[in-house]
Amino acid sequence: MTAKDHETGKVLYTDQREYFEIGLDLDGYMRYGAWQIKEIVDLTLQPLDTRHERFFATFPKDVTEVDLSVNVYYYISGKKGDLIYQEKRLLSYEEE
Amino acid sequence: MRLKFLIFLIFLFFLPISLSFASSEEGKLTFPTGPIDDFETFVKAFDSMRCAECHQDIYEEWKESYHSRSMVSSIKGIANFFTVGVPKEWEKQLDKKEIIKCLDCHLPQIKFASERLAREIADYMIKAKLAKGKEKDEAIARLKKLNLSCYGCHNIKIAATAPGITGHIEPNVIYTAGEGESDAHETEHAPILKRSFFCIQCHGVYIAPDGESTYCNTLSGSYVHSYLGRGGRKTCQECHMYRKDRGHRMPGGHDLEIVKEGIDFQAEIKPFRYGVGKWVPAVNVEVFLGNKAGHRIPDG
Repeated sequence: MTAKDHETGKVLYTDQREYFEIGLDLDGYMRYGAWQIKEIVDLTLQPLDTRHERFFATFPKDVTEVDLSVNVYYYISGKKGDLIYQEKRLLSYEEE
Repeated sequence: MRLKFLIFLIFLFFLPISLSFASSEEGKLTFPTGPIDDFETFVKAFDSMRCAECHQDIYEEWKESYHSRSMVSSIKGIANFFTVGVPKEWEKQLDKKEIIKCLDCHLPQIKFASERLAREIADYMIKAKLAKGKEKDEAIARLKKLNLSCYGCHNIKIAATAPGITGHIEPNVIYTAGEGESDAHETEHAPILKRSFFCIQCHGVYIAPDGESTYCNTLSGSYVHSYLGRGGRKTCQECHMYRKDRGHRMPGGHDLEIVKEGIDFQAEIKPFRYGVGKWVPAVNVEVFLGNKAGHRIPDG
């Protein structure tokens, strides 16, 4: 999730959640080689399960409009990430 | 002179094998029963093009699949095992027994390669990763001819998970999920092709005959324990083959359409003013990510 000042483009807040698995060898060291991995730490999205993530941010008092976007990226490898979902909203804090 | 005679003898030795898989006297497809030592003979024997004459549509689907590029799509990981894992970490010789730990799934027909040919194929993998220029290009070109072919699933792997039940595999029989007959080859109905259990043999932790485990893919663990355990009842084939007529294209993690299909996304956004008396702009975002697939996301 990223929030930017609509006027200046400055990033006011950013946070992310990652879902992945970590391969470990017999001594508990992280490894990439399929032949080395004997155990995993499973930090993935589990089947038939819904993950609920909560974000709360405050912005400087003088900010009047914020561009907010929630992006879901899928990485088939460490290098290539594809945007698969996005929710964008212009938040207005104009005084009434 | 002696060298020429030796070459002639070698030629004679492999001639019966190279001719034996063309077709039988009844004109039906036949396949090798013994080890093959020549690369091109090996390629021709298991080439999916042999099936395309009658099954062109399925062949075209398969061509789009990662199964059709099961060797070239995994050069880095397999070459690392061949150059680091086996010789340096395990301090073993890279022979067919070790090579098969990757290729039993990536190239099941390796079973019919001679010890020398298995090493030749492993050498192409290594060159495809480490060599430069022409040598690298040639190695990749050769690896492109090798893959998980029709025969891999429809014969070699049929009895790999439940040999006690499925019994002996006949080399010239094509095992199918359907119950039809064919004039082109002997056919036998194999219900296992419709079961997740069949895919699991490669799409999970692989256990080699000597007991070594390889974690190149862990999908099946979460399918069996999490998905089925939480009440999921679909098979691999239902989502990756039958739905949307995906057929033998069998898209997976490399296909964004099916990835998106497996994930539900919802974001609730609430802007407000925070801090009574000293109000500042604030926002609360609640995100819901649902995994609708039959296994963990991501995986592998």
